[in-house]
Amino acid sequence: MLLKTETYNQQSNFAQYCRDGKDLAILGAKQERLPHYRRLIFNVVKDAMETTFPISFKYIETEIWDEMVYNFFSWHKCSEPQVWRMPEEFFEFCKSQNYAEKYNLPFLFDLLYFEWLEVELYMMEDIQYPKFKKTENWLTEKIAVNPEHKIVKLEYPVHLEKPFDAANKKGDYFLLIYREKESGRVQFANLSVLFTFLVENIVLCEQTLEEIFNDILYIFGINDLEMLQTEAFTLLRDLQARGFVLGVK
Amino acid sequence: MTIKTGIGFRKDFAEEFLSGSVLKPGFVELAPENWMNIGGFWKKKLNQLAEMYPIISHGLSLSIGSPEELDMNFLKNVKNFLKEYNIEIYSEHLSFSKCDNAHLYDLLPIPFREDAVKHVAQRIKQVQDYLGQQIAIENVSYYTPVAAEMDEATFVSQIAEEADCKLLLDVNNVYVNAFNHNYDAKTFINNLPLERVAYIHMAGHTKVAPDLIIDSHGEAIIDPVYELFEWTLEKIKPVPVLLERDFNIPELDELQGELNNLKKIMKNKWGTKKPLRTSPNRRNKKETYN
Ligand SMILES: [Fe+2]
Repeated sequence: MLLKTETYNQQSNFAQYCRDGKDLAILGAKQERLPHYRRLIFNVVKDAMETTFPISFKYIETEIWDEMVYNFFSWHKCSEPQVWRMPEEFFEFCKSQNYAEKYNLPFLFDLLYFEWLEVELYMMEDIQYPKFKKTENWLTEKIAVNPEHKIVKLEYPVHLEKPFDAANKKGDYFLLIYREKESGRVQFANLSVLFTFLVENIVLCEQTLEEIFNDILYIFGINDLEMLQTEAFTLLRDLQARGFVLGVK
Repeated sequence: MTIKTGIGFRKDFAEEFLSGSVLKPGFVELAPENWMNIGGFWKKKLNQLAEMYPIISHGLSLSIGSPEELDMNFLKNVKNFLKEYNIEIYSEHLSFSKCDNAHLYDLLPIPFREDAVKHVAQRIKQVQDYLGQQIAIENVSYYTPVAAEMDEATFVSQIAEEADCKLLLDVNNVYVNAFNHNYDAKTFINNLPLERVAYIHMAGHTKVAPDLIIDSHGEAIIDPVYELFEWTLEKIKPVPVLLERDFNIPELDELQGELNNLKKIMKNKWGTKKPLRTSPNRRNKKETYN
């Protein structure tokens, strides 16, 4: 390596100081000016967190939020060169530090994850849409859907309620989150377990709708096919109107 | 002879900007890391932008001054981005923003030392070999030297010569550094290999203490920086000039006013010929900057 160890150490000390403020010797530095670097860098991290996690920022006590962000800034080595992606590391960091328990915020990981997903879906690279046609007869066809989506499971309904209300409603919540093609806006739909099964199988695109219905009857022990179909079609039409269901393959 | 002024494209004023009603820059600058590997709404806006203006890129996260290895995966993404939007100028800061594999998202001064010159020059060469083009490195503003053993102008010049790269001369940064570190701005500029200047930045700054200016990009350009710019133009060949404004964004006609000021000085110093007409950056179509 062309860089001498001593020079490397100076750079490393400086960078380390910027993150945790520890007064390591930096040769020839103007001491009174060093804090400007800490302030400027911390502001980048702080702003990125507040922009990416506006709900968390709003509802979590300021002192706790500041401490979490500050610890992240000080202790975590950000590996992401694109600033907009860095908040995902904050989410992982909070998990690794077990902050939900430490600060008594049971909804914390779900909320950070939900807010991050919104940004990720909004920004992610375009995915090629499948070929599809419009028809009234869906039953015997494979349904085509918007590929720019994710289906996730949450423990707390942070997508439906204010965080501290959601904290009392631990359960299994399924969420379809997708990006509208034209506007680029991110939308979500709350799904029951049964309809999550339906949508996941539609996405796999190996079976016709009729075949999936038959599986549902069997797996969920349902007798009333007609009611299942009626409810499923209501959901699918709604999702079609909202830009998730496209048509049939 | 080309008189081209540009402005950084910011999401804050994207809509108004893309309407093209007030701001009429000759090109736009953007940071590849803010725009590469994205889709959706902003990708559409970017494509729209590329149809309207030539693009110059100015990176943030390459961290050319890092002690550790270059992030080749990142560089691959940059290369693809430059190709997709037919971007000819890729510039980066002569600083480090990553150390011990931790990104800091700010520009830290590299120790002005002999071994750092060799190390950084070798990394620039590696980048240029990989991209198949010269890059331009920018003199950054800094608030404290770190383990310096030579002056800044020598450091910048030796790296540029050894790496055989271009220079992005940020005139405001020269002014800021000269003020903060008590040196003469004109002597500094005179000591640079000015034939390598491929691009110029102009910006405003913020004085936070009697002896300290922060390079905030949050104010209008001040007269002494215009004067230094005017003085500098006599010494270099015509290159594109960018107005940097990142914070405290005023009405766009104020920014256009600053662009007009710059253009007036450029015309005065570099000739009165009209700029060569440049077609917008249709993707994958050749576009030249001379
Ligand atoms: Fe600059």
